[in-house]
Amino acid sequence: MRLALGARAVLVLAGFAAGGVVAADAPSSSALVQQTEREASADLRLRWDARSLNDAGPLAAANRWLSGIAPATPSALVAEAELRGVWRAPNLPFMRSSVVGNGLLWAERPAGSAARSQGRINELYAAGDFGAWQASAGKKVVGWDVGFGFRPNDVVQQEARRTLLAVTPEGRALVELEHYGVETAGSLVWVNPQHARTASDDQRGALETAVATRLYRRDGSADWHAFGRWGAHTAGSLGAALAWVATDDLELHASVRALQRHDGWQLEPQPGTALVTNNPWHQVTLGHAAQALLGASWTGRHQQSLLIEAWHDGTALADRDWDAWLARNRALGAFGAQSGLPAGLLIATSGNLAWQATPFTATNLRRDNLFMRMAWQPDRWTLSLDGLFTPSDRGHVLTAAAQWQGERLRLNAAWRVYGGPSDALFAQLPQRSVGLLAAAWPF
Amino acid sequence: MCQWTAALVAGWVVAGAAAADDVATLLKAADRYRTGQDNLQVETQVNVLNRDGSPDKERRYTVFVQAQRKSLVLMRSPAEQGQKVLMLGDDFWLLMPGSQRPLRITPSQKLLGDASTGDIATMSWSDDYTGAVVGEEQCGDAACVHLSLQAARKGVSYQRIELWIGKARNEPIRAELYVQSDKLAKQARFVFDKPSAPTMVTEMVLQDQLSNHKETRVRYLARQAKVVPEAWLNPMFLARNPALE
Repeated sequence: MRLALGARAVLVLAGFAAGGVVAADAPSSSALVQQTEREASADLRLRWDARSLNDAGPLAAANRWLSGIAPATPSALVAEAELRGVWRAPNLPFMRSSVVGNGLLWAERPAGSAARSQGRINELYAAGDFGAWQASAGKKVVGWDVGFGFRPNDVVQQEARRTLLAVTPEGRALVELEHYGVETAGSLVWVNPQHARTASDDQRGALETAVATRLYRRDGSADWHAFGRWGAHTAGSLGAALAWVATDDLELHASVRALQRHDGWQLEPQPGTALVTNNPWHQVTLGHAAQALLGASWTGRHQQSLLIEAWHDGTALADRDWDAWLARNRALGAFGAQSGLPAGLLIATSGNLAWQATPFTATNLRRDNLFMRMAWQPDRWTLSLDGLFTPSDRGHVLTAAAQWQGERLRLNAAWRVYGGPSDALFAQLPQRSVGLLAAAWPF
Repeated sequence: MCQWTAALVAGWVVAGAAAADDVATLLKAADRYRTGQDNLQVETQVNVLNRDGSPDKERRYTVFVQAQRKSLVLMRSPAEQGQKVLMLGDDFWLLMPGSQRPLRITPSQKLLGDASTGDIATMSWSDDYTGAVVGEEQCGDAACVHLSLQAARKGVSYQRIELWIGKARNEPIRAELYVQSDKLAKQARFVFDKPSAPTMVTEMVLQDQLSNHKETRVRYLARQAKVVPEAWLNPMFLARNPALE
């Protein structure tokens, strides 16, 4: 459905683009109508996603015994066109209305595979501007919260953080009502209304039907936020956030959220070290949890900056769960390493090990995380070095990145390495390192 | 004796207040050459030149300067398309097109760049600075008044400004801009529409003295009166990437 809808909407966007950057239609004869306007813009991107496989971890062990049972994502050359369009309807005395679209077309050639192309709609929504009140409905990106590495209160979009290249995420289906005052703002969102009658297992995480609200107040050098969310099966959560410019050089931010219930990975039934015939990892609704983030950002006088954030994510698997995960990996590894094991059992062991990589898709692997980022912006360059550390297993993710911005052309290069002691989760991910080379041309 | 002392102190206070009034009046007069009114939209082009005079960068901005020290800068060049900076008094936000998180930026971040956001968005001195008349000097062929200005509030781009304005018409002629550490950051000179009878500043030329020694030419292409809707000055509204036309 996504692709079918995508193709149609991309054609609409392409139509906008063909219309030029700004094209004003002739005014209508109606006295109420002023003018219609179209705006279009686009980004063309070419990038090389490099991935180097890890020779440690459950997926590597599974592939060693049965090559190709769980192939990791290969390196790929990707060409992308992101098309954006806005069509504004003629003004009425009490409102202005518009239709906003953002579509992505891409062609990808993974190493060792044939090229394939796809498209998707990131945003397509109708918006009404009633002065202080704003309303919108459709597919839209609505991002909240104040953190960089982690945003507990990004309860609508639930955007992936710390990506190597910032791109527009795929929005959520929603209906939104907003109010803006001089120093206040309020939003009420009904997200994923199309899933209202869907079973819980088919609407986990960001796909859950929910009503969410954000209240904002500016108080001098501080931005205060309050958040609430009611999910179809996760029930209520309340959150708050603050961003405060403490001195001429220092900004502090904090975010906290308490959840009545949450979606998370669970191993069920508990197989211990035994082989099972189905993936034992499931997304289920779990009990209450808390998330919190503290951060500080310092800016120097010579275009340098330092960001430090520490966060706790109570929805991530607990250390004892990871200990059990590690014990199961070891048991499966020892079982599969026995000489003379029948082929069927070896296949089963490989499959069981591959399933152990399932919880790697969580937002945070460990509950407690420390993130540091240093950046320097000499002239056209932005150079950065960041590290994410998990103190409980001494794992780390180190990223070095460079960006060059010309008058139009933008070049990006980034390299990320996962590591730590052999038991650290980051040292057992499917990839040992990932890299990126990208060129973007906006017009 | 006490009466003499009281009279001297009173005289000094009155003279000081009168001098401050004079400076405020002179600054208001100088500001009129840059803004002309409280609420306006300014189309700005910034050209950065390398030390050898070769062109380095060209940037376009739409700046909404509003009363009560509120400004909104929309970045128009392809390299910065969609970025916005909101300045409400001493509070600043950077809004990036791909993010819905308004970034609170510190006064230090506002200073970054060849022509800092503060240089582009701040078009008045009288609201932000107090000072004293240093004396009359010669600026080329014309007589000018040298003012020494100190920041009257936190959050301004420059802590101290040495400003020279025309004696006859009070038009700004040149300025030296000092940062918090009292280092000379930039030298500015002002270009007018009609040199013989100036009515408006058409260009501000900034010479970096602190780091790269580049020259930045800030050209005011068009000014028009514009009061923006209140919502445009709300960082959360701007974070939605609305069309601001």
